[in-house]
Amino acid sequence: MSNVALKTEKMGRVYKLGGRQVQALSDVNLEIEKGDFISIMGPSGSGKTTLLNVLGCLDKPTHGKVLLDGVDITNVAERNLHKTRKHKIGFVFQTFNLMPWLNAVENVELPMEGTGKTKEETRKRAVELLNMVGLSERKEHRPQKLSAGEQQRVAIARALANNPAIVLADEVTGNLDGKTKLEIMKLLGKLNAEQETTIVIVTHDGQVASMAGRILFLSDGKLIAKEKQGTHQNK
Amino acid sequence: MAIMISIPAGITANQASTETLTQNLSNTITQTEATINQTLTQIDCTLSPSFEGFGFEPPNTGDASGFTPPDGSSGFAPGDFGGGSMPGRFGGGPFGGGGTTAMNETLYEDISSIEGVAAVASSLQASEGTEQTMEMMGRSFTRFVPDYIIKGVPLTSDLSDNYPILPTNITAGRNLQAGESGVVILSENNTAFFNAGVGDTIDILDQSFQVIGIYGSSGVEDVMTLYMNLSDAQSVTNNTGYITSITVFAASSNVVSTVASDISSLHPELTIVTGQQRLDQLETLRDTYEVQLENAYASLAQTQAVAVQEIVIAVAATSLIVLFVMLYTVRERTKEIGTLKAIGFSNLNIMSQFMLEGVILSLMAGVVGVVIGVFAAPALSGLLLPAVNAGFGGAFARAAGTVSSVSGVVTPELVLIALGGAVLLGVLGTLYPAWRASRTSPMEALRYE
Repeated sequence: MSNVALKTEKMGRVYKLGGRQVQALSDVNLEIEKGDFISIMGPSGSGKTTLLNVLGCLDKPTHGKVLLDGVDITNVAERNLHKTRKHKIGFVFQTFNLMPWLNAVENVELPMEGTGKTKEETRKRAVELLNMVGLSERKEHRPQKLSAGEQQRVAIARALANNPAIVLADEVTGNLDGKTKLEIMKLLGKLNAEQETTIVIVTHDGQVASMAGRILFLSDGKLIAKEKQGTHQNK
Repeated sequence: MAIMISIPAGITANQASTETLTQNLSNTITQTEATINQTLTQIDCTLSPSFEGFGFEPPNTGDASGFTPPDGSSGFAPGDFGGGSMPGRFGGGPFGGGGTTAMNETLYEDISSIEGVAAVASSLQASEGTEQTMEMMGRSFTRFVPDYIIKGVPLTSDLSDNYPILPTNITAGRNLQAGESGVVILSENNTAFFNAGVGDTIDILDQSFQVIGIYGSSGVEDVMTLYMNLSDAQSVTNNTGYITSITVFAASSNVVSTVASDISSLHPELTIVTGQQRLDQLETLRDTYEVQLENAYASLAQTQAVAVQEIVIAVAATSLIVLFVMLYTVRERTKEIGTLKAIGFSNLNIMSQFMLEGVILSLMAGVVGVVIGVFAAPALSGLLLPAVNAGFGGAFARAAGTVSSVSGVVTPELVLIALGGAVLLGVLGTLYPAWRASRTSPMEALRYE
């Protein structure tokens, strides 16, 4: 098995907007190796979200290929894409998106539903993940009882539940204050370093982006530069 | 749900009450027809209390007894035709009418010699009961409530064997026989009042009589009548020599009208009702019953129609409420749906979760509705459904037995149907919102604020 977690070949995405064609992404060639920690930067409307949607199997490209763990997701039927998302992708959102009626540990257990794990295995894994993100004391709390930083930690633990090939983080620090922002970035860095988790973060915060091992710039749907080569971040 | 459970409960009660009504009416009509066939040769002669010129005081409206029979002590001379001192009331025959009064039996012996007369049966009838006064709209009314009616019939072998002067449907003991004295037959209703059965001795106006038989009610009106020998009736009511009606049996139905006019010319003071007139009256009565029966059916049909409309409206409203609530829920939770999809939930997972929520919600509403329905069904069904028996007259209500206001009855089947209905409505109302939720694009859902 190759060391490539995700690879796109001449990938493009065209939207039809009121009879007009909008080229959101064009000729994106991207290779993310296992254990990479990459940040993607770009101004609003540059196609960051579209790229993340395509990489996260929420959307399909109109051109080219997307190989996730060696499988071309453009060939996967729409109705089966949810399985790919469940097993290969971990999402972390800007607004955390935790289920308000579930406590921390139950939120982490959610993606493991229907994966064939027993209740005990699921609970063990969820507790393990919460310990890993530093929330061992707050397992039984509901999201509204947790701070923003704590909520994002739960969301990160949830993203890791099914041991995904890649974690996609969309402006994960956008709703956090400066101190918490750094803590979350350090946590991601730690997970990347210790667990060899492959992480792609999308951000327009230069400070956040600089904490990743590699920064990609996106402009008008095209990857225009690569910077700071290397697999792991160095801090 | 409360509406759903109350309406069928009310309908069941309405149906039961109309069925009782129908049953009683058709019985009455059958009995009336039997009576019509029996009375074709019969001519009833009575003396009207308002008959003037015969020494009677006209009925005094302030006096509940309707008239005061003149006697020596009251200062009136006994009239040519009337007289006696009857306690209680006279009359109460099948046709009620203007009431009858006592007449001296010796004055009418000549009727039997009229050509075409086969037999003459003189009888005495008196009601025993209590006066009740009630206030209504600031005025006081006195009403006579009879406990029982005494009917004395001449127990000669010729009459009792050949003519319908006694009830025929004996249900216990035996009928009166020619020449018997000191014995009575009671109607089934009388047994309750006297608390007596066959073989028992009862007191009637301080005289003892033995009950030798019980007869079943042959019509709605004579259920309170007890029969005894005419001479017993005259002595017990202190009316020796007096009678209240003369029943003349014509030899054949062809001569009835001739006989009637002969009686009339001989005794112009008598009120004469022939079999034919009686037949007409009975036919009218029957028509009235039939109209009332039709009204009852129409009323039931109307009630059912209203019930169906109300149930359709309730079901439609419930489905729409579930639909809108669930659509709102789906909209409110768009972001959550997007998140669930992003972390790997399938369309089917999402749809079944919303369906489950909709059904549980409806089921809970159903349980609350049933609880309310159990307590409120009588009141609610009365409120929601038109009253089925409104406008029925007194005699009709009596014929129908207990006709009270309709009240809803909640049965276990009804509860199960209501809960099943709740689940069904939940499914129906949630189907579209859940489908929409499952089709939500995760990208758009995640962007939704």
